Parts: sequence; C-alpha cells; structure tokens
Amino acid sequence: MTWEEVIFYFVAALTVIGALGVVLSRNVVHSALFLIVALIAVAGVFILLASEFLAVAQILVYGGAVTILILFAMMLTRVRDLPAQMIGRQAPIAAVAAGAFMVLSTIAVVTTEFPGESENINVIDVNSIGGKLFTTYAAPFEIASLVLIVALVGAIILARGEEGE
Amino acid sequence: MGMEEVWLLPAIPAAAFVVLLLVGAYLPRRGDWVAIAAIGASFVLFFFVLADLLDAVKSEDFVGGGKSWTWVEFKDFHIDLGFFVDEIAIVMLLVVSFVSLMVQIYSVAYMKGDPRYGWYFTVMCLFVASMLTLVLADNLLLMYAAWEGVGFCSFLLIGFWWEKRSASEAAKKAFITTRIGDVGFLIGIILLWREAGTFNIQEIIHFAEEGGYGNTYLTIAVLLLFGGAVGKSGQFPLHVWLPDAMEGPTPVSALIHAATMVVAGVYMVARMLPVFVAADPIALDVVLILALITVWISALMGLAATDIKRVIAYSTLNSLGLMFVALGSHSVTAAMLYLFVHGFFKAMLFLGSGAVIHATEKQDVDELGGLAKKMPITSITFAIGAAAMIGIIPLSGFWAKDEVLTATDHHQNIIVYLILLASLVVTGMYMARLYILTFLGEPKDHHVYDHAHEAEPIMSVPLILLAIPAAIGGFVVFHEVGDTLGFPGGFGEFVYFDEPEKFKMHWDTAAISTVLAGGGALAGWFAWSNGAAIATRVRETFSPIATLLSNRFYIDELYQFVINNIIIGLGKLIAWFDRTVVNDTGVDGSAGLGYLAGNELKLTETGKIPNYALAIAAGVVVILTLFLVLEA
Amino acid sequence: MIPLNHFLVLSTILFSIGMYGVLSRRNAVLILMSVELMLQAVSINFVAFAAYLDPEKATGIIFAVFVIVVAAAEVGLALAMILRFYRNRQTANVDEADMMKW
Repeated sequence: MTWEEVIFYFVAALTVIGALGVVLSRNVVHSALFLIVALIAVAGVFILLASEFLAVAQILVYGGAVTILILFAMMLTRVRDLPAQMIGRQAPIAAVAAGAFMVLSTIAVVTTEFPGESENINVIDVNSIGGKLFTTYAAPFEIASLVLIVALVGAIILARGEEGE
Repeated sequence: MGMEEVWLLPAIPAAAFVVLLLVGAYLPRRGDWVAIAAIGASFVLFFFVLADLLDAVKSEDFVGGGKSWTWVEFKDFHIDLGFFVDEIAIVMLLVVSFVSLMVQIYSVAYMKGDPRYGWYFTVMCLFVASMLTLVLADNLLLMYAAWEGVGFCSFLLIGFWWEKRSASEAAKKAFITTRIGDVGFLIGIILLWREAGTFNIQEIIHFAEEGGYGNTYLTIAVLLLFGGAVGKSGQFPLHVWLPDAMEGPTPVSALIHAATMVVAGVYMVARMLPVFVAADPIALDVVLILALITVWISALMGLAATDIKRVIAYSTLNSLGLMFVALGSHSVTAAMLYLFVHGFFKAMLFLGSGAVIHATEKQDVDELGGLAKKMPITSITFAIGAAAMIGIIPLSGFWAKDEVLTATDHHQNIIVYLILLASLVVTGMYMARLYILTFLGEPKDHHVYDHAHEAEPIMSVPLILLAIPAAIGGFVVFHEVGDTLGFPGGFGEFVYFDEPEKFKMHWDTAAISTVLAGGGALAGWFAWSNGAAIATRVRETFSPIATLLSNRFYIDELYQFVINNIIIGLGKLIAWFDRTVVNDTGVDGSAGLGYLAGNELKLTETGKIPNYALAIAAGVVVILTLFLVLEA
Repeated sequence: MIPLNHFLVLSTILFSIGMYGVLSRRNAVLILMSVELMLQAVSINFVAFAAYLDPEKATGIIFAVFVIVVAAAEVGLALAMILRFYRNRQTANVDEADMMKW
C-alpha cells in the first residue's frame, strides 16, 4: 500500500460520499454543501492525475461560481424542505437503472484492453496545454467564448421578467 | 388500274362513310345516293382488278397481287397496312360488292320513312368498307381489325331499332357471343406471330409449311384461330346469336348475316387452310365435327321455327356448316364455291322474305299463306332460292352441294358422308315447309292476305338480279364455261387448295343427293300442304321432340344458366373480396391500425420530464447491454 | 502505481450516482446538481485517459477544460430558466411541468 494509493482511496471516498450526499439528502442546502465537497474532491483527483492547472481551474469555476449560482437559485425559488417533495416517484426504478448502468459500465471498463497503456502517470506540461489551446484547438476556443456570450445574453433575457421592463 | 389499286375498293366506301357521318343529315335524301354510288364504284372497280388478275394468273408462279404500306415499325416488330388479292379473294370480292349493291338499292324502298334512314346508309358504308378490308387484308392483324369492324357494324345494325327491347338484347348477344370467339382468334394470331415473327398471311403459310411451328403449338394456335370462325360464322356452340340477329332490318340480315359477315369465318379458314393442314389432323377433325353438329341442329330447329326470317337464318347456319365440312375435308374449292352461290341465293331469300314482311307487316308463317297469287315475282324468285338451297339440279346450289359431298366422299370416312346425305332430307323438308306455309295454300289470315301487294320495282329488281346467278351461277364449275369467261378453267381450276381440280361429274353422288333432297321436299309438301294436317298430327304425336326443337334445344337457357350462376357468381365472389379484404381489411384496416397505434402510444407522452429522462437512461442501459453481449 | 481502471471505475460510480439523482429528484435545482456530478465524472475519465495513454497530445485535458466552460454556461442558462418557470408556476417542482402531456 503505497502512499499514492492511500491518497487515492481517500480522495475517491470523499468524492463518492459527496455525491451520495447530493442525491440522498433531505435538506437542499445540505445537498449543495455536499456538492461542494464532491467538487473539491474531484479537483483532488485531478491533482493525482498530474494536471494541476485543471485542478485549480476546477476549484475556481465550480467551487466558486457554480456553487454560488446554485445557492442563489435555491434562495430565489424558495425551495421547501418537505420530504414528500424531495424524492421523486420513480426512485426505485431509477435506482435499478443507475445500478444496472454502473454494473455494465464497470464490466466494460474492466474487460477492455486500452492501447498504449503505460504504467506511469505522465506529467503533462502546462505550457503545452496553453500552446495546444491556441494552435490545434484554436477554433473550439473561440467558439467556447461565443458559447459564453450566448449563455450570458440568454440568461439575462430569460431571467428579466415581464414587469414592464 | 389493276391489282395494285385494289385498296380503292374498301377506300371509297370508307370515304363515303366519313362523308355521310359528317354531313349526311344535310344532304338531299339523307345521302343514300352517296352510299349507293360508293358501293357501285367498288363494284365497277372490281372488274378492273379481275381483269388484271386473270391476266396475271396465266403465269406459273402467281400467288397474288396488291400493295402494302408500313404502318407501325419498331425494332423487329412491324404491322403493315397491306392489301392482297388472289383467287380466293377475288371470289369473295364479287360476292361482297355485288350483293352489297343489290341490298343497298333494295334498302331505299325497304327503309323508306324510317326516322334514322340516313344513319342506316352511313353504317352500311362502314360495313362494306370493313368487309372489303377483311377480304383484302394481307396480314392477320389488319384482318382482325376489320373483323372487329364488321362485328361492330353488325351490332349497330342488329340493334338498329333499339327502342325495341328484343332488338337491343339481340345486338348485345351477337356482339358478346362473337367476342368470345374473337378472344381465341386474337390469341391464335399472337401465337402464330410469336414463332413466325410476322403477321403477314403468306409468310405465315410459308413458315408453317416449312415446319417452323411445333406440332402441338400449331394445333393449339389453329384451333384458337378457328374459335374466331366459330363465333363469327355461327358454328356450334356459338351459333346462338344468329337467329336472334333477325331483329335487325331484313336487308341487314340479307347482307351481313347471309352473304358476307358470317362467311368471313369460312373465308379466314379457307385462306389459312395450308396452316390448318400443317397442324395435327385433329384440328380439322374438330372443324368437321362442329360443322356436322351445326348442320344437323340447325336443320332440326328450322323445322320447328315459325318466323320466316328465323327459318332462313337456320338455313344459313345449315349452309355455313356445309362450308366448314368442305374445309374440314381439305377442299377450298367446294367451300368457296358454296360460299359463292350461297351469297346470291341466301341474300335473295332474305330480300324476298323482306318483301313479304314489307307487304304484309307480318313475319309469322302461321299468319301467312297463299301469297303466291298476290306476289308473283317474289314468289317465283323465292322458289328459285329455296330450290337452290335444297339442291335441285340444275340450280347453283346443286353443284355446290355436290362438290361438298364429293370432297367428303374422298377425304372422310363413309359415316361422315352418310350423316351429310341424311341432312339433305331435312333441308328439303324445312325449306319446302317454309315455302308452302308462306306462299301456297289458303291464307290463314284474310286481313293480311288482302293487304298484301307485290313489291315495288326498286325492291323486285334486285330480287330478279340475284335470282339469275342463284339459278345459273353453278355452271361456273364447268371448264368450258370458265374458259369462255377468261378464267383458266372451271371453278375448281381457279380456286383450289393443292392441285387444280378439273370438274368431273360424279353421277352416283348427284343421283343420291337429288333423290334425297327431292324426297325431303316431297315429304315436306305432303306434310304441310292442305292446311298442314299431317304435320300437325306428327307434331302432336312427338310433342316432346317438337317442344325441344322449337325451344332451340334449350341451348340459350343453358348459357343463361351458366352466366347467371357461374359468371355472375364469380363476380359476386370477387366483389366480396374487394369489399371485405381489400377495402375493409386492407384500406380501412391499415388506417385503423395507424389510429389505434397512435391512440395507444400517445399515452407515453406524459409530459413529465423525469419520465423522459428515465426512458433515456433505460435506453442507454439496453444499448450498453447489447454492446457487451455482441462484443463478447 | 494506481492502475487506470481505478480511475475509470471511480468515474463510473460517480456517473451512476449522478444518473440516479437526475431520475429521482423532484426539484429542478437538485436535478441540475446531479447533472454537474455526471459532468465531473466525464471529466475525470478524459483526464485519466490523457494521463495514462496519450500525454503528448493532451487531448483529454483540453476536453476537460471545455467541459468546464460549457458546464458553467449551461448552469447559468438553466438557472435562468428555472427562475422563469418558478415565476410562472410558483414552484420549482419538475413534475408540475407537464403541459406537453397528450
């Protein structure tokens, strides 16, 4: 049991607990907090995979912006904590479906031979990522900015409301 | 002007038809003179063609002359508009053009005052044009087209007085019955064409003689071809339309149903006889058997019929049967000779009966009698015609009948010969009966008798003109007569099948036939004269047979039964199928299925998003499973 | 050394939990959070592949970057829509959005 593995299992457990908290909690705000836990844990996984840049970006965007957005939405829509409303009617079937999916995917993953698999986690150079972003993936990069603008404008229009504005 | 211009013969009446169709109503006298002039012109042109033919016949390898235009041509399929005249055709041409002319002149008086007077002559022109095309056609397809053309004109003319229900029914019956035969005819034509690659008659004959067709194939084709003749020429079992066709005006009966259209079948078979002979002998056996049946049943039915025109119609069937017996015995000479003289005396018999009808307004012999005193010309010419029909020497019918008997004697076995001889007796009886009941004895209805008068000249002159060839037309068989007229010899040396047949008097056949025919006539005279006392007693004694004969052997009832039950039953079955299976199940059903599906499937549109999301998840699971299973 | 499989299994588990959340939660905001979980799982997958199989091209990481971008945009828009919906129906309960029913 190397240190790496220990850390890995710890971070993994954290992620899973956070995820379970999100979907099973009766209290909405608790769910939001569990989400933050899960997101931070995923950032940890990224660090384990030697992509620090991504981990930092993850914390910044998700842990910061997205979570705040969600909390705001919860406030504005005055989500009630009634238990009856929390868990939907098709929960059992959903559990079955999700469970089936997990089992099948795991089988798929475990039985596949991935080509070019190396034993080591290789360090990925941040410089090269930046370079790639502006050369090979320049087009998606620009389009991504367009997407953000569209989302911005769209959100403003949608949320503006009808009261004579 | 010669054989090359023979196409003018049908063309001129065809042009007259178009003229009459378009402007006939506005011409003086409704244009009857146009029709007569056109047919007269054809008759005159005939002589030019004849002269040219007689000249050409002198050369050894003469087959025929004429002219042909290509009508439809693509790849290896072509149809010609071709006209061809040879010895057989020229005989027909004479009959058709002469009798047509006589009938048209006669019709001027007979049809006078009829509201559709002009239409009569219009259709008559079309008929003459079609008939001449049929005779002169050099390929089977053109002949078939003309065949249908004369059938159509026959339909129009039989149903000329269509206000009368029986007339329109008769026209329908004639058309449908002949149509049944024509289907076979067309299939036969196609079969012949398929192997030979041509519709041209001479080429098909050549092909058949060379053995180009398989034996069974050719026999079937030829029998189908004969089917058309069975319909058109009233052979058993398609003879039923001819007696009913008497609903039409009498000149129509004289021209179409005696001299010309009904013998089209004989003409066609005579033309195609080399092909018939090349087939299996069973083909001509079928021809012979049907002809013999026709000869006998028509004679028996003629004995019982009471309408003048009906009796003559049965005698026509009788004669047609004889012509086919001749053809079945490989004798084109006998068949064509009989056709030739028959055209004259039968047309004359009809026209004579027409004179009687025109004068007395009555057709039933039970209401006539003693007219000989009042209508001498009609009576004498009728007697000549009847005697020719019976076959009394030296009238034309005798020579023709003798030729048929001789052919049967030489080519068939003795039983056929005897059957034929026996029929002569019955022929003598029914013709004598007709004459006696109409013209002799005491008038049965004095009112009718008083009213009767001789026919006017326009009607009686054609009668006399037809009586002449009816009387002496038979002498053309003699070599000396033919030679004098410019022919290569007697009839048998002009029109023949294999070899020219110089006429030889067969005294034994002549004697037997005369005795039998005369005996029949005498028996008839005994039975029906003096108020038909003996005949009435015989009829009462054998009343079931008499009923059978007067009901025409119930053949019509049988056909009607078949049509009602089988054909209409089949129609009902198909209608049921269409209604239930195709419509209800197929059309309505598939529409209903769509509606049902939609109605049930719409319930999946719950509108609830979680449901849809679940569906997506379930789908992903299924696909994943499939992938894993198939991969493994 | 941690084998690649471990990361992949982790991402599978995460994804399934997210899927369960999407299917069983009633509140729209909660559903959105579950969707975020699923997106995270996917990102882990991509980055794991990039790290183990193809470090030079680093495609996986670029992809994960874009996933973050798009996810952020999507969350913004989705929440705007939820606000809208809430204003109309006075509830964020997803079961109430059934006007497309037959």
